[in-house]
Amino acid sequence: MAPKRKKVEVEEEEARAQEEVEEEDEEEEEEELAFSRNYFLAKEVGSASGKRSAARKVSEINLVDEQLLRASLSELPTKHEKEIGSLLESYKGLYSNWLFELRCGFGLLMYGFGSKKALLEDFASSTLTSYTVVVINGYLASVNLKQVMTTIAEILWEHYKCKAKRSTGKKQQTQLPNGLKSVDDIVTFIVDISDDCNCSVCLVIHNIDGPALRDPDSQQHLARVSCCSCICLVASIDHVNAPLLWDKKMVYTQFKWSWHHVPTFVPYKVEGLFNPLILFSSGHVQTTKTALVVLQSLTPNAQSVFRVLAEFQLANEKEEGMHVSELYTKCREQFLVSSQVTLNAHLTEFKDHKLVKMRRHSDGQDCLHIPLPTNALEKLLQELV
Amino acid sequence: MAKHQSSPQSASSQGANSQDANHTLEPFFVLHKAQLQATVVEKVSKSRKGRKKGIESSPKSPEKSKRTTSDEQPSNTLYEQWRFKAFNEIWSLIQSSIEGVLRDINLKLFNEVLQWIEDSFSEIKSNVKLSSSEILQPYPLLADTLCRKIPTAFVLTKNAEFVDDIQTFCDLGSHLKANRCHVANMSALDFSLKFGIGGSVRSLLRQLHSEPLDGKIADMLTLAKWYCEEENNDKPIVVMIDDMECCNADVLGNFITMLSEWVMKIPIFFIMGVATTIEAPKNMLPSDALQHLNPCKLTLGTPSDRMNSLVESVLVKVCYCFSLGHEVSVFLRNYFLRHDGTITSFISALKLACSKHFSLESVSFLGLYMLDQDSEERWSEKFVYLPESMKRCVLNLHSCKSEKNLQGGVGSIVQQLSDLKASQRFWSSVVLCLFEVARYSKMQFLDIFCEATDPKMYCMNGSENSLKKHFRCGDKNSTARSSSGVGSITRVIHTIREMPVAALSNLLDKWNNHTEEMTEINEEVKKLQSVLASVDEGKVYEENLHNIRNRKSVSVISGKGNSANEKVAMLLDAMIRKYMKPLECMTLHEIICFRDVDVLQSGLIGDPRKTIQLDLLKCHSSLSCSCCSSDAKNLSPSMHDTSIMYKLAQEFGDVINLYEWYQSFKTVLTSSSQTSRKKGRPSPASKKAKPLPPSETEALIQARFCGAVTELQISGLLRMPTKRRPDFIQRIAFGL
Repeated sequence: MAPKRKKVEVEEEEARAQEEVEEEDEEEEEEELAFSRNYFLAKEVGSASGKRSAARKVSEINLVDEQLLRASLSELPTKHEKEIGSLLESYKGLYSNWLFELRCGFGLLMYGFGSKKALLEDFASSTLTSYTVVVINGYLASVNLKQVMTTIAEILWEHYKCKAKRSTGKKQQTQLPNGLKSVDDIVTFIVDISDDCNCSVCLVIHNIDGPALRDPDSQQHLARVSCCSCICLVASIDHVNAPLLWDKKMVYTQFKWSWHHVPTFVPYKVEGLFNPLILFSSGHVQTTKTALVVLQSLTPNAQSVFRVLAEFQLANEKEEGMHVSELYTKCREQFLVSSQVTLNAHLTEFKDHKLVKMRRHSDGQDCLHIPLPTNALEKLLQELV
Repeated sequence: MAKHQSSPQSASSQGANSQDANHTLEPFFVLHKAQLQATVVEKVSKSRKGRKKGIESSPKSPEKSKRTTSDEQPSNTLYEQWRFKAFNEIWSLIQSSIEGVLRDINLKLFNEVLQWIEDSFSEIKSNVKLSSSEILQPYPLLADTLCRKIPTAFVLTKNAEFVDDIQTFCDLGSHLKANRCHVANMSALDFSLKFGIGGSVRSLLRQLHSEPLDGKIADMLTLAKWYCEEENNDKPIVVMIDDMECCNADVLGNFITMLSEWVMKIPIFFIMGVATTIEAPKNMLPSDALQHLNPCKLTLGTPSDRMNSLVESVLVKVCYCFSLGHEVSVFLRNYFLRHDGTITSFISALKLACSKHFSLESVSFLGLYMLDQDSEERWSEKFVYLPESMKRCVLNLHSCKSEKNLQGGVGSIVQQLSDLKASQRFWSSVVLCLFEVARYSKMQFLDIFCEATDPKMYCMNGSENSLKKHFRCGDKNSTARSSSGVGSITRVIHTIREMPVAALSNLLDKWNNHTEEMTEINEEVKKLQSVLASVDEGKVYEENLHNIRNRKSVSVISGKGNSANEKVAMLLDAMIRKYMKPLECMTLHEIICFRDVDVLQSGLIGDPRKTIQLDLLKCHSSLSCSCCSSDAKNLSPSMHDTSIMYKLAQEFGDVINLYEWYQSFKTVLTSSSQTSRKKGRPSPASKKAKPLPPSETEALIQARFCGAVTELQISGLLRMPTKRRPDFIQRIAFGL
């Protein structure tokens, strides 16, 4: 009985969702697959999960103000601070072994739950004193690999110049050679001069699996640089599927990873700084807010057109949407638009910002619909004064 | 953020840490510059070019060591330097041995390629003779299309994993360069859709030009100009593409078509690596490009052949200063056979094992002297200056604890080390003899190696009967057993019993070389050689044929087989019993033997998917706190938030309802604080906290919830809700 109810729930949920939003086919297939798997899981579990009532919504949680939540988040006391401290302290005993492996030509790859930023930087500042250490905060989406490579090239070029000056007695040009326009060129330049550089550079990459470094090109560039004789790599990963970023050539001949399991349980404060808060990211709160921001930036007439549409939708909840012609008539009556062209301009604006969606009415005509739940729409109209 | 940042020990780095806080939102920054005096040492250690070779550079600074013994920290650094130098020396020895072996295996193919290039080049030269001005003409010569074909060698790598062949192609390039060829070693990255044909030509020119291409336009005319220069002329240009099937077909097709326009003027040859079948280029390249190729097929050796040679030369011949324990050998064998079957992964695992050995074993630097002729003198010299603490390290090695003789002092330790060295030599000679038979019967050397390193096998050697039993029935515990359940060494002995006389005679010739150091055995080998020579070859051959035909009737146990074969088998049996003592059975073996299979495995295979989940599910084992229950099923509010959340997530299916998840989380955080209040024993987390107003408590719980979800998202264990289903989060990882 229970699985049957679960199945019905699932079907209902799907049907409702299909009415609400149009999504890409791929995503649908994936989710349907997931739900069908869920059905079997529910069957395995038996009656326990079957007792669950209809799916509850995030909006049912009594959400506190986002600002208050953000403030609480930033001031959260860390649990097990003492234990985390002694865990980090215990890793200090391994620093000399890590250095040994670096000198043997391996790259260090740190993984395990918890932020490893402080650990790696402490290792670098206390142990890698004989290296010039460049730290890349891979967890930031703003990392520009070209700038990083240019900095590395400049460091190497500095040493290369000094060496050339010593051997030839001539003064070398102070800037990097011209023609280094692309990242490829810069990486090739680094590879070319690295054998003649009398220095050691260590790249410390926090989250080599981070959003800005995840693409194959960036990984290729990092791999090419990591196998230079004067460059070594210390990196951390946090994503469970991070190893899929590399092929065998990169793993065995370029990065030459030596894996180290170093769970720290330190909160991912910096790493998660730009991640949206789950309770505010997908619920109606966020959507209402974004819709409000967009609407407030539009002209009063456009806002009024939207209000007409919204009021119609609230009054006729069972309707699939409002016909364009109907909207035009109403707006014209209220002197909001003078022609169909003006209305179309407003509608294009709405559609671009996903405030309004076009769907086919059962009578065959196109109709307009605001993809927001009733309560969210009411709230939006209240705030749109 | 982290505890250690504020700890008193790191007071010196506090300034830097406060600066780090400003750096957290910078995409990148320079943490610090190198201290100049140390840079040169690092460079020497990493660059193979600058590495000092030979034993003379090995650590010997008795005065220095004497001076620093009082201070533990500097002396530790000193020993670390010694170990690092020992690693460098030994790994460079192993690496040169690996390179030599791989080069030798491929030499036949390399010479074949060279011969093909020379023949084709002389043919082209005899047909077409052009002046520089003709070559530099930007338009193609009018000629028969047949002449516009580029000679192309498709090298079948017989290896689905391409990574092994990168080095082969590099070696081939060097070989051709040394034999008057211009070589450009290109890869799939040079034939990508992103850079198009321009990128390919640029890469080609960059490799051929000795000077950078500053400002020059990368086109065929530049190539033609370069070729017209006196020092470049009259040599074939070989373009090698190691992984042809990974290239973009259109870009490669255009590249071929373009080069074919110039092939009359510039003698270009292609060497392309093909991983699958010879049909691959036909299926992949457009027909107009394909018609410009004049193909020729060459084949590389198989990975198992290469592996056999590596085992022989690296693991057996160069085993005096660094060797693998039985468990590590079995792990590496399985890693090779089951992981990806590439030589590259095997070599990188071996290097990691070597570095772990020298990094973790404090007295491993003593192994370096195994290479010396006068090892004993070197050890004696070294031990005189070693501080007591280090001598104690040697005596505290596990294998020394039962050895009472060693308490005698330096002399006895040196004696044991010499015995170790001699025993390793004998062991390696016997294993080489086994390999000679295995080569004949096409067995895998790695299986024999694993069995030969097994200390359990040697323990069974105590009584003769048990040994016989072991060899005849195979060791049940041996992991290197064949599918038939018989040990590899047993199979080797069986093979000898069934070998024809000619092969047996060849075998004895080779054994004669291998057993030079074992006088007693060597004499026996010589006797057997003379016995074989004196026997009428034809008769023996007939006998042997008869034996082979009636193989089922030949009983090895009853000894009715060929007598010469039986004698050779018995000799091998005697050799194994007397001289093949696995390293792990020797005192002081820890100095040269790496046995820690767990360390190697964790360094080699990270498996973050499993480990990160385990971290969360069993956070107590990492944190070892007193406040949380060690029982994985119990949830307490003092536990790490993300850990609570992930444990709760296990109760859901593929998707998690956010509301339900939140409510469960809230219940865990609040209910137990109530129970603790009832019990009158507040948990450490709530001890200091004052009671908060409900809204703030709610905010705190919601903040913890959001933070934990973000952490799970960073770990890749969750997928965020879609617009379609905003109240559900999708789980990604299921099971460990």
